[in-house]
Amino acid sequence: MANFDFRTCSISGLKIDKASENLVRWNLIAAFATLAVGGLFALLVALTRWPSVHLLPLEFYYRFLTLHGIDALLAWIIFFEIALVHFTSAVLLGTRSYVPWLGWLAFALMLIGGGVINVIVLLGKADVMFTSYVPLKADPIYYLGVILFAVGALLGFIIFFINVILSKRDGGYKRSLPLGVFGLGAASIIAVLTLLHGAGIFVPTLLWSMNLIPNVDPSAYRLVFWGLGHSSQQINVCAMVSVWYMTSAFVVGGKPVNEKLSRTAFVLYILFINIASEHHLLVDPVLSTWHKIVNTSYMMHLAVLASMIHAFAIPASMEVALREQGYTRGLFEWVKKAPWSNPAFSGIAISILLFGFLGGITGVIFGTEQFNIIRHNTWAITGHFHGTVVAGTTIAFMGFTYLLIPYIFKRELIWKGFATIQPYLYGVGVAILSIGMMSAGAFGIPRRHYDVTFSGAPFSFTFDPAVDMFMSMMGVGAVLAVLGGVLYILIAFGSVIFGKEVQ
Amino acid sequence: MSNHKDDMHAPGVFALSLVFLAVFIVIWFAHLKWLMDIWAVR
Repeated sequence: MANFDFRTCSISGLKIDKASENLVRWNLIAAFATLAVGGLFALLVALTRWPSVHLLPLEFYYRFLTLHGIDALLAWIIFFEIALVHFTSAVLLGTRSYVPWLGWLAFALMLIGGGVINVIVLLGKADVMFTSYVPLKADPIYYLGVILFAVGALLGFIIFFINVILSKRDGGYKRSLPLGVFGLGAASIIAVLTLLHGAGIFVPTLLWSMNLIPNVDPSAYRLVFWGLGHSSQQINVCAMVSVWYMTSAFVVGGKPVNEKLSRTAFVLYILFINIASEHHLLVDPVLSTWHKIVNTSYMMHLAVLASMIHAFAIPASMEVALREQGYTRGLFEWVKKAPWSNPAFSGIAISILLFGFLGGITGVIFGTEQFNIIRHNTWAITGHFHGTVVAGTTIAFMGFTYLLIPYIFKRELIWKGFATIQPYLYGVGVAILSIGMMSAGAFGIPRRHYDVTFSGAPFSFTFDPAVDMFMSMMGVGAVLAVLGGVLYILIAFGSVIFGKEVQ
Repeated sequence: MSNHKDDMHAPGVFALSLVFLAVFIVIWFAHLKWLMDIWAVR
């Protein structure tokens, strides 16, 4: 090991090898870039759904909505997660990246796959939305792009296992993995299952799009697709919760109150969270009611239990750490004295609150068979998952970026004042957006729909006038969130390029 | 003999959990009433 190029980070004390550092850096840069693109499409799509603006023409709306899903939901988050794979499995363990060539291969495949998808959708040959439900048919190149991206991501997550196994041999850890690494381990296990589902459905769909097989059964497609589509969100949940634990440890010195309980909660995710994917099929006529209820009203709650454990374990770890620092007056002095001006801390605090109250609670409600029937395919669902993947995962990752820039890029943050307000601005924007969507959805506004006034349609239908207020609320929230997002991108890229070097 | 009050590591989070529980109970019954109104459940 002595032959490898290690340095010790002067801020965190982490031992970082050059190969891991470069892999984390480039995956993060790709993540920032894809978030910038996905965010631009988000703004255009939101300004189209805002009735008083209604910006884009029809075909561009669906095209950009497809790309918003691909770039913001898949590419940004998975590039960031692969950066976390390298960070946890090599840097946190103090060992080297054992297969950097595989890391670069994975990165290249993801980059090529993502690029191919963006180009083919922009050319108008794959207006099939993120779900690409058959019998909607895209150009074969689109499915090829998805497969390339997914194979790259799969290789990226496999690197986690290789690094962790070889790290143990080299004394990176003794008995069990540190909790942050353990959480990424859970994410990587779910990722392998998820990406195998992806291969299971996108390979036959590719063959079908090339007319090599006659058809793909739509109900089988939906079932297997959601083994990819929703389970990939569970990778995000695991990675996000790991980021919560790691940020608590790095910023306030938080240690889990009961580490075994926190580890058990991650195991609950592995065992039960994939089953929760079934909630996408709750109005599907093919599956039996018994099947749906067992999966979503029983099994799913074991995964929700895991989130409840983390939701209290992480604030408790912060409370214990802050009390040890002397903030013991009353019940809540530690809350008052917490480092709210540190964007890494405020990022995860906002992420925990919004993920729990906006994303989590609504997810449990909408994922229940009896409730789902009145919310399915309404905008309320879009509001729910903007509460999870945006208000939860994205804000947590944004917060963690403010730690990774000095640790990994060896740069100080530029615009520290703007960095302090960025998580608040973004969080408030996404919360308003999400509540606006959920409220409009409660009045029956459909998700994805280009024109809810149905202008030019052979029939007429009007929603309750209250929806105008909620849809405008979404628009205002989207503009605020985009401002927060632009600030994040400028600070991230600006710090990487112009930030003062950390010695 | 140990002082049980000192055994609690995170009393603030424990207090918050009680607040959440109370809010949850209120929301639960409010939504039951809402369901009754919407679906005319008797």
